[in-house]
Amino acid sequence: MNAPASREETHDMEAVHAKLLEKRRVSRTLPPYRAALNSEVVETLNRFFASEVPGSSVSDVRRVGGGASKEQFFFSLTAPGGDAERYILRMDPRAAITQTDRRREFEALKAFQGIVPAPEPIWLDAEGEHFGEPAVIMRTVNGVTKPSDAGLKVSGLGTSLGTDLRAKLRDQFIDNLIAVHALDWRTAHLPSFDVADGDPKQAARWSFNYWRDLWRADEGETRPIFALAEQWLADNLPDTAELVFTHGDYRTGNYLFDEASGRVTAILDWEMARIGDYHEDLGWVLMQIFGTFENGRFRASDLFEREEFITEYERRTGRSVNRRTLHYYDVMSSWKTYIIVAANGMAAARAQHNHQDVLLTFLATTGAMFADDLCRLLGQEVPS
Amino acid sequence: MIPNVDDRLASVIRALTEVVLPHLPPEASLAQEQVQLSVGHLQILRAQLDALPGYEQEELADARALGQALASCSGGPETQAAQTALTAAVAAQGEQHRALLKAINEAIEALVRAVGADGDAASRGQLSATILKHEHARSQKDRQWFAPFGFDTL
Repeated sequence: MNAPASREETHDMEAVHAKLLEKRRVSRTLPPYRAALNSEVVETLNRFFASEVPGSSVSDVRRVGGGASKEQFFFSLTAPGGDAERYILRMDPRAAITQTDRRREFEALKAFQGIVPAPEPIWLDAEGEHFGEPAVIMRTVNGVTKPSDAGLKVSGLGTSLGTDLRAKLRDQFIDNLIAVHALDWRTAHLPSFDVADGDPKQAARWSFNYWRDLWRADEGETRPIFALAEQWLADNLPDTAELVFTHGDYRTGNYLFDEASGRVTAILDWEMARIGDYHEDLGWVLMQIFGTFENGRFRASDLFEREEFITEYERRTGRSVNRRTLHYYDVMSSWKTYIIVAANGMAAARAQHNHQDVLLTFLATTGAMFADDLCRLLGQEVPS
Repeated sequence: MIPNVDDRLASVIRALTEVVLPHLPPEASLAQEQVQLSVGHLQILRAQLDALPGYEQEELADARALGQALASCSGGPETQAAQTALTAAVAAQGEQHRALLKAINEAIEALVRAVGADGDAASRGQLSATILKHEHARSQKDRQWFAPFGFDTL
C-alpha cells in the first residue's frame, strides 16, 4: 500500500481535466437543454460555412442514430465549383455521459492520420463560439460498428461478431491498438495533452483524481463497494514504466468496419485519449461488458480470450504486461464505468442537460454489473 | 382505485406504440429511438410495479445488515467517529426508504475512509471482506432486477 497522498497530489491532474471539471460544476445551474432540431443545425451550419467556405452550400443534413454521448449530424458541403462532400458534425450537449474536450479529440485525430484508420478532422469550434457548445467536424467514413444482424443492442455492449468477422478483425484490432501505443507523442503536435512525468505514479494519479472529482462534481450516490474501490485505488497507485499514447475507449463498437471485407475503416471515439499507461487501455479492452461469453468462456470485444489477448500484445510489442498493474486498471475500468453510468449520465439526465435523458437512465441500469465486477475484482488475490 | 396504475401505464404504452411511433417520419431517428426506449422503460416499470415496495424495503434491510456487520471495526478517533455516525444511520427510522438508504451508504463510505486513515490493521481486512460479501449478494439482486433492460449476461 502506498503512503497517503499529500494535499498537492490529491489535486494533481491534467489542466484540461481541471477545466472540464470546473465547467461541469458551473453548468449545473443552467436551464434545461433540448435536442437540436434539424432546421436549427442547417441554419448554424450555413452561418458557419458562410465565413469558413464562402459561396458553399450545405445540404442533406441528417441526424446520426445511436451513440450515448454527443449530438451528431451527417451533412453534405458543396464548395464553389466543387462536388458535394460528406461530413459529420459532432457537438457536445450541455452535459454528457462523458465529459471530454473536443480540442483534444481533434488533435488526436490529426495526429493519427496515416497511422491508423481514423476520421479526418477538418473544423474545430473548441469553445462553442459558433455551435453553442464545443463541436468538431470531420470527414465521414463508410462502415458499421456491428454486424447488420446484431439486433438493437447498443454498439459494443455484448456485440457478437460471428466466426467469419472475428477472424478478419482480430489482427487489425490488436495491431491498431499497438500502433496507437507506438505513436511518438514527444514529436506529435498534441499541445492539449500534458505529460505525467513528474513521478512514476503521476499517470495513474491523474486518471484517478479526475474520475474521483467527476464523481463528486456530479454527486454520485455512493454504495459500499464503490467506496471500497475508491479507497483501494487511492492506496495502490501503480508506477508507470513507459508513457504511451492511449486511446481511452478502445473496444468493439468504437471502430467502423466494412461488413463484406472485414476491413477496419476507422477507429472512433478518441475523446478519452491521454498520454498514460498502456495497461489502462488493456484493462479497458478486457472489461466483461464490452465482450461476450460463449459456453462460459469470455472473449474481450468478442475477439480474444483474456490470456490470449495479453500474450499476443506482449508478443507483438515486446512489452511485458505487469499483472499487478493490469489488475489495478481492471479495477479502475469498472470503477470508471460505474461513475460514467451512475453519476455522469444520471447527473446529465436529472439536470435535463442532455438530448436523450431516457437513454441515460436506461444505461444507468448497468451500474449493478459494474458493482458486481468490482466485488469480483477486489475479491481476487492481487497478482504479485 | 380506478383507473389503477397498471391500466394507466398500459394505455400510455399503447398510445406511444400504436399511435405516436407509426406517425413519426423516417428521418426523425432520435424521436423514434426515444419513443422506443420510453416504451421499454414503461413496460419494465409496469412489470415491476407490484414488487417495487418490497424491493426497496429489502435494499434498506440489506444496508442495515451491512452497517451492523461493520460495527466491530475499531481504530483511532476518525474510525470511532465514523462508527458512531454509522450506528445512528442504521438505527434511523422513517418512511423515506431511499433517504435512509442513502444516509447509511454515506456513513459506510465515511467509515471506509476513516478505517483507511486510522483503523486497526485487522479492521481493514474485516471491513473489506464484509463489504465484498454483502455487496456481492446485493449486486446479484440488483442485476436480476435490472436484467429486463437487456444488457446483462446473467
